[in-house]
Formats: sequence, structure tokens, C-alpha cells
Amino acid sequence: MTRRITPLYVLNILLLTLLALIFLFPILIGFLNSFKSFQEIFLSTLSLPKSWSLDNYITVFQRIKLLRSTGNTAIVSALAIAGIVLFGAMAGYKLSRTRTKYSTVIFLLFISSMLVPFHAIMIPLYQMASKLQLKGHLPGLSVLYIGLGVSLSIFMFHGFTKSISREMEEAASIDGSSEFGTFFRIILPLLRPAMGTIIVQMFIWTWNDYLLPVLMLLDMRQFTIVLSVNTLFGEYGNQWNLILPALIMAVIPVIIIYIFFQRYIMQGVLEGAIKG
Amino acid sequence: MMSRKVRKYFSFTAFVLPAFLFYFSLSLLPTMQGLFYSFTNWHFMNPKYGFVGLQNFINIFTKDRYFVMALKNTFKLVAALVILQPLIALLLALMIEACAKWLQKIFRTVIFVPYMISTIVGTFMWSFVFRQVFTQIGSSIPLLGFLNQSWLSNVDLAFWSIIIVSLWHGTPLLMVIFLAGLAGVPVQLKEAAVIDGAKPSQVFWHIKLPLIFYSLTICMFLTIKDAFKSYEIVYALTGGGPGWATQVMTLNIFEEAFSGNYMFGYASAKAVVFLLIVLVFTVAQLLLMKRREVEL
Repeated sequence: MTRRITPLYVLNILLLTLLALIFLFPILIGFLNSFKSFQEIFLSTLSLPKSWSLDNYITVFQRIKLLRSTGNTAIVSALAIAGIVLFGAMAGYKLSRTRTKYSTVIFLLFISSMLVPFHAIMIPLYQMASKLQLKGHLPGLSVLYIGLGVSLSIFMFHGFTKSISREMEEAASIDGSSEFGTFFRIILPLLRPAMGTIIVQMFIWTWNDYLLPVLMLLDMRQFTIVLSVNTLFGEYGNQWNLILPALIMAVIPVIIIYIFFQRYIMQGVLEGAIKG
Repeated sequence: MMSRKVRKYFSFTAFVLPAFLFYFSLSLLPTMQGLFYSFTNWHFMNPKYGFVGLQNFINIFTKDRYFVMALKNTFKLVAALVILQPLIALLLALMIEACAKWLQKIFRTVIFVPYMISTIVGTFMWSFVFRQVFTQIGSSIPLLGFLNQSWLSNVDLAFWSIIIVSLWHGTPLLMVIFLAGLAGVPVQLKEAAVIDGAKPSQVFWHIKLPLIFYSLTICMFLTIKDAFKSYEIVYALTGGGPGWATQVMTLNIFEEAFSGNYMFGYASAKAVVFLLIVLVFTVAQLLLMKRREVEL
């Protein structure tokens, strides 16, 4: 279909441009003001900063130890995603291939929790984390994410496995390959599209999450980015010249990842939402 | 040599057990424990606790003014978002769909950015906008004078501030879902309708909408689920204030359990009420809307 350039068409584009700017507004205005001094922000938030000096950024970068908290967040996310993908793929694949009553019941048990919101299990989970000594360290936090996230992963892999033909496994098994060998060499590579979806979903969740880390991490040295920023906000409530650079630096890694993997992220989020 | 059956059983266990252990101890068991604790008077500091029957639940609805208020606020929030969020997302999607392909891509990419940002970080940015930027815009541009108000300390405006941030964070995903739905509507159908003389509005109501009803179901579901769960935005924007005017259930449960009170038994009862409400509403919505979907 070819489109004619009508006044309505132009108006539509102008309106959309305005709306897109509104969606970006908090980030843009935050960025603009992150270079200003406390007084400058107080006088005018709308003008350009007098100088694009990075002083605010350097101060904040050191104060919240951003490099460390970014590293912490990366460790937690990476461990959590690895566990969720691996265990989810194994269980989802096997449950999908086993056609017994037993297996169906277990599958339903897994997905029954997908509607349970975090706040509903937060208190016993807190208790359980203490008992299992998962509190106060990064791998423990990842383990908690695996426990909470694995059922969605199983659900996705379970669905995706159905589209893979059984012939490959049968051929491999006749050639004498063990079941684990077949899974890791043949099945896992075939599950890659579902893996992408899960990785995207779990990255956005674990990287940006606030509640679980705030309950489980106690030591500043282990804080994730979101926690560091939250602490800074608590300490310097109105000192936007310190808070804004922290907020901008907190979103930079995500924005970079978004720019590079935009297509995959969009697809992953979409499939997660539609199938989930 | 093991029998075939035993081997099968072994391999099933080897594949499923790791995931099950994580899931069982960190999702399933806590859910059941929560139910159990809700009938006790367990306090965090006190290792001994006793059964109190339904007393917690009775107290929640008869003596706990703040929880009832939080309940009302949560429903207000859900109601407002369930109407506004899919509507705005659908309008955005329709507007974007009308553009050339390369423009579609740009708009979609840009508007999706808020979804990628941590809710709490995004809310802090909005906090700056509400507290510093809006007041300054309002006082310097007469046309936008209405912006010059104390957004977060006025009871009604605080509620709308939460709605604004929720929409900002929530609509992008729904918009993408609608766009995908619209892209799936066959071009021939639209063209045939146009040739038959259908107006754009008729094409929308009679062709597009029935065919993207599936997307609408998903969007409603996500909106309801996320609106009930809202915590970060309220916490970071108003903290439930002014007073308790914008407190929601999640905030109330969290405070009961972790901010000073540590009434784990009582808070568990609140969590159970919360869980039941969320389940009833999400399941009812899915059942109601699933029935109306059209298969192509």
C-alpha cells in the first residue's frame, strides 16, 4: 500500500514526535540537569547547563562506588540467568517429551505459581532465605532469582520443545549418545530462540529489580546499582546535583544494551508477554 | 543392565529435579508457608507462636483502617490503569501503524525506552520532574500554569502522579503488543473493506479490533497483574503519602512485615488476602475475554 502525504498524515507524525518526546522527557531533563550545580538547578531546570563539566559525575561515581555496584549487578544477573536457562531448559524439555500423568502434574505445579505476586510470598521467602543462608551475598540472591524465575523458563521451553522433531534424538540415541550428551549437543542448540526470549526477560527483571535485593542484601559492598541509587536518594533527598548523575549513570548500561540488541529485546519481550 | 523403565525414571529425575528443588524451596513452599502463618500470631522476634484461627483476617477487615484504605487505593489504581493504559497504548499503536515503515521503527524504539529502565530509577527521575521541573514550567509559561502545583503532597494529585508514572512505564510494552497484533491483520482484509467503501473507523471497529482482541486480552491481563503489584512507583514517588492517601496493599504488607512492626503472622494474612484478590481478578479477566476472541 502506498501512502499519500496528507495534512492528516503530517499531523499524526508531529503528534507522535511530541508524544515520543514526552516519553523521553524525564530522562532528557534529568540528563540536562545532571551537569548543573545545586543552585543552577534551583534557579532553572529548563536552561542548558552553564558548563558540561563532569564534576557531579565524578563525585557521585566515587561516592556510590558505581563500578562495584555495576559489577555486583552483573554477577547476580549472569548467575541467575545461567541457572534459569539451564535448569529451565532441562526440565521444560523433559516434561514436554514425557507424556505421563506424573509429568503433567509436575508441569502444572510449576506453572501454577506464575500468577502469584512477589508480595504474597515475600515473608516466608525472607525466612527461608535466612534458613538456607542465602541472605547477604550475591550468589544467594541469584539462587533466589532462579527459584522465582525458573517456572516461566520451564513454561517457555516446554512450549518450544514441541516444535522440535523427535527424530534427531532417536538418531542420536541409536548412534549410542547418552541422554545428557544428546541434550547438550543437539537439543540445547535447537532451543536457542526460546533461550533468547528467556534471557531478555530475565535480564530486564534481575538487572532492574529492587525488592528482592533490598530484602536480601545488607552490606553496602554488595549493593546492586538500583540499591546504591536508592541509598543515595535516601541520604541526599533534595540534592538533585548528586542524584541526577547517579540516575543517568544507572540507566546507561541498560540503554547501551538496548541500542545494540534492540531487535532481540523487542522480540524477546513480545514473545514472553504473549506466551507467558 | 538397568531395565528401560528404571533408566527412564532416572533420566526424568536428573532433568527435572534441579529445577524442582529451586522451585519447591523458593516458590511453592513459601506460598504454602504463607497460608500457614496467616493463621498464627507469629512475630519476627518471637520464635514461639500459636494458632489464632481466623483472628488475623477478622482484624484486617474490622480493626485495620489502614489496610482497608490501602485496599481501596489499590482498586482505584487498578481501575484507572485498566481503562487508561490499554487505551493509550492502542491509540499510540494505531498512530504508529499509520506511518511509513522507517518512522514506525523509530517511534517504536524511542517510546519503548521507559520499559527498559528500572522502575525505581525511572520513578526517581519523575520525582525530579514533579518536584522541580513542573513547578518551574508552570510558573514561567502561563499556558501551562496548571503544572505549578505541589504534585506529590496534594491528595488527588499524588494519586494522578502515580498514574502518570505507571502509564509512562507500562504503556510501551502494551503498545508493542498491539503493534504486533495490528501487523498480523491481513492486508487483503483491510483493502477489501476499503474497496467496499468502509471508512477508517469502520475498518477499525469491524476488522482490526476483532482480530487484535487477543492482544487486548494480553494487555488487560498485564495491566491488571502489574497494577495490583505496583510497589516501586508508589514507594519511590509518594511513599504512600501524603499521610496514607496513596498507600497500596503491597506497601501496607511490606510495612507490616519489615518496617518496624515485624508482625509476620498478621502480615501473612494480609498477603493471603492480596493473593486471593489478584488471583480472582486475573483469572476472571482471562476467562471473560478468552471467550470473545476471534480465530482467523
